Amino acid sequence: MNPIEIMVSYWPRMLDGTLMTLKLTILGALIAGAISPWLALVRSHGSLIAQTPIRIYVSFVRGTPILAQLFLVFYGSGQFRPELMELGLWNFFRDPFNCAILVFVLNSTAYQTEIMRGGIQGVNLGEIEAAKAIGMTRMTILRRVIFPHAYRIAWPALSNEIILLMKASALASVVTVFDIMGRTRQIFSKTFDFSIYLWAALIYLAITSLFVFGWHRIERRLNRHILPRNNANAVS
Amino acid sequence: MLELFSYGDTGWGDEILMGLATTMKLAVATLPVGMIIGFLIAFAAMSGIRAVRYVGVGYTTIMRGLPEILTLFVVYNGAGLLLNSLIKWWNPEAEGTDFSPFLAGVIALAMVFGAFAAEVIRGAYNSLDKGQIEAAAAVGMTPQQTFWRIKLPQLWRFALPGIGNLWINMLKDTALVSVIALDDLMRMTKVAVGVTKQPFTFYLVACLIYWVLCVLSEMILSRMERHANRGVRRA
Amino acid sequence: MIPMDPSGPILSAIDIRKSFGDVEVLKGISLDAKKHDVISILGASGSGKSTFLRCLNFLETPTSGKVIIHGDEINVQNGQPKMSVPIEDIRKRLGMVFQQFNLWTHRTVLENVMEGLIHVRKKSRGEARSIAENYIERVGLSQRVDAYPGHLSGGQQQRVAIARALAMEPDAILFDEPTSALDPELVGEVLKVMQSLAEEGRTMIVVTHEMAFAREVSSEVVFLHQGKVLEKGTPDEMFATPKSEEFKRFIASM
Repeated sequence: MNPIEIMVSYWPRMLDGTLMTLKLTILGALIAGAISPWLALVRSHGSLIAQTPIRIYVSFVRGTPILAQLFLVFYGSGQFRPELMELGLWNFFRDPFNCAILVFVLNSTAYQTEIMRGGIQGVNLGEIEAAKAIGMTRMTILRRVIFPHAYRIAWPALSNEIILLMKASALASVVTVFDIMGRTRQIFSKTFDFSIYLWAALIYLAITSLFVFGWHRIERRLNRHILPRNNANAVS
Repeated sequence: MLELFSYGDTGWGDEILMGLATTMKLAVATLPVGMIIGFLIAFAAMSGIRAVRYVGVGYTTIMRGLPEILTLFVVYNGAGLLLNSLIKWWNPEAEGTDFSPFLAGVIALAMVFGAFAAEVIRGAYNSLDKGQIEAAAAVGMTPQQTFWRIKLPQLWRFALPGIGNLWINMLKDTALVSVIALDDLMRMTKVAVGVTKQPFTFYLVACLIYWVLCVLSEMILSRMERHANRGVRRA
Repeated sequence: MIPMDPSGPILSAIDIRKSFGDVEVLKGISLDAKKHDVISILGASGSGKSTFLRCLNFLETPTSGKVIIHGDEINVQNGQPKMSVPIEDIRKRLGMVFQQFNLWTHRTVLENVMEGLIHVRKKSRGEARSIAENYIERVGLSQRVDAYPGHLSGGQQQRVAIARALAMEPDAILFDEPTSALDPELVGEVLKVMQSLAEEGRTMIVVTHEMAFAREVSSEVVFLHQGKVLEKGTPDEMFATPKSEEFKRFIASM
């Protein structure tokens, strides 16, 4: 088969795999994105006792292969099957998709926490004092001053993290989730046609490129107050 | 519990240690190859010749955008197919052979490492102080001498933190080779799990071993950084 | 090599021109330095004085012109230098001291001074070491031989840079605004070293803003304005009776 034919016969599976990859990445990144700012707050402003478990968690996640974490959750949960059944959680852990999402969330949360910590610590203290001085509550300061700045600072690093997560999602194929990588390996084992790997590479690169493009547009919007106003002369 | 990890026939301690040895061998073998690829690609990406520059920039862009496991399969299966067709072409009677998973692991991991390293090296190269390079020219050093005596030692200082991170990432990525049947730490753990039916215990131990490796690496790296930065900052 | 007249110049620059794109920053500058000359080059910023100095050891390649050092000639036409010896051979006969010191941050004071001796002058380590120590003592930093540049003050760094240049035993030393990057209280120690070098009879070409140095130490002053030599002469006549309006204004502004 030539490279075109293989795509013609297998495109529905590859499309299905692509959607799965997107689902894993987006869901993982979003859940992690909802948790990490709060952990980052604790990590930068919390007491030492509150910080320590977060530090250990982040260090553990960063110090172990995602594949090992995935096996620990997916296969490891089997060791506690009776207990998990009693808790009604067994059905959750039996499904490789759930395990994969859980691991990706745990993973991305750790990395995003570190990124957001950098963003929060990068916020100009003077602006926070100014907000206090006009009588804002802590919550309002967070919402109106700290987080907007922190996200602007962290934005490029978050983009990298999401791309890393998308790449990591390919590991789900090892525990039989049929993402792009899973479908590719399935098709290769049937056809022994190498070109399917090149198609997979192309799809991954396309996703990355589209993502980077979109992210940049949002970044420009976030930074609109500090971008040079090129059009100022043209308008006047 | 402890006897599960003892050394010898009854425990899995020796198997896991052997797996760890393979993991370390793989990582240590990958590092120099990855660095060489990194330097070649970095210099290609900074080349004055446009076609060469495109190759360098294209390589980093593509390799950094692909999942490591995909690269590994492409190398393992692709090189395997290539090797077999070469053998068939050389001697049609020959048996097909499998491409060495160790070699495939080294090549794939080094290709990934090299792509990221190239970016680190390029960044370090751009942060070199132009004045110090001019000073080398002014005392009469040749461009070669300037490279080896002034640029490279300083490049090292700027690149070390980035390369250190890549080393840790690569150490973790070695776990992927268990998927192509290389008996590394991850795969030996899997074998132990198959026999003992204690997946959580064994995978946790594997995780802890990787963790220790990474934390140790970090400690050594921060010492190396301190050494490389000696005298740079004001006391 | 052309046989040398002992009283003739050891360094000559003839009609040096330099353009960056369409902008001609040097419009034909000539200069002769004889042994023991201390030439101060003055000029407002943008007059091309630093560019001219950098053309002398080809850190900047002139667009056209000729540089003769000890009889070896480099002739540049259309930005293409023609030389009888490698550029490194020319450079090692001209020491240079930079505005930003440019010490190699990964080497100690001693190593900074030894580096060129070992790898350019091809001296043995032992010999290089004793030469280097001698010159470091000369600039008064014997106590700091094992320090890294980052641990020194700006004035100390510049003195090390002078020792580095001296150690190569060059025919002439080029100084590119050696005190401009220093805090005012550190300027004196560097000027003092430079003055003692002048008194020793070293050949020096100094781009500077230090009027007192130009006036008291140099044997010749050259005033550049918009890429041309507008005036030159001994400091006494130059400062006593400035001829051009530009130089008058320049002195007044200092």
